[in-house]
Amino acid sequence: MNAHDEERITQLLKDSLPPISDAGPQRDLWPYLLQRLCAQPTAPPWFDWALAGGLAVFSVALPATIPVLLYYL
Amino acid sequence: MNPHPYLRAFLAGAFVPTLVLPLMLTGFIVARLVLQFPFPIERGIVFPMALVPSLWALWNMLWLGSHQRTHLALGTHGALLPLLLLPAGALLASCLGILSAGLSGVTWFHTLYLPYLLIAPCFLAVLAAYYLLWKHIVGFLNRTLGIA
Repeated sequence: MNAHDEERITQLLKDSLPPISDAGPQRDLWPYLLQRLCAQPTAPPWFDWALAGGLAVFSVALPATIPVLLYYL
Repeated sequence: MNPHPYLRAFLAGAFVPTLVLPLMLTGFIVARLVLQFPFPIERGIVFPMALVPSLWALWNMLWLGSHQRTHLALGTHGALLPLLLLPAGALLASCLGILSAGLSGVTWFHTLYLPYLLIAPCFLAVLAAYYLLWKHIVGFLNRTLGIA
């Protein structure tokens, strides 16, 4: 393969691939990423706290059930 | 591009029971060897050690594959797993001789007597525990691994 062939192949490849336009994002994404990184994690809803509290009370009231509960984890 | 999402779902699903198992083993061994409780641990550990982690992992893969159609929240999906696990665990425990049914209740590990009246609250407690674990821990792992 001589230099002429290489140029020809290069030109053919360039012709066969569509020109890349608008490849970049429409807006600056860094502030959005920074906002996500700095966002405070949302607190669990009251329902989840109530369930966790109910489980704790259940375990304290009936400690004999703890091994049975662990058996299923 | 999201390579191997089901593999990541499998790993995220198996995480919690794999983490809990050594703690549970420690508790059972202390109870058996130190406190001299007559638990047949070698038989009782088969179900949580062999089946539960794999079922959690497969259940998370199932959620990944189905939630586009079902739109089921991860916590709710996780809370459905005990419906499968509880009968399977009870059946296996019964076959292994660590669960025996009596007239007014069941006896676990030849020691822990559980009246039938307490089975429903126990079932609800397991559902609640699964809901919380799946929603918060498996959900966190799924988000961290980029599959949720």
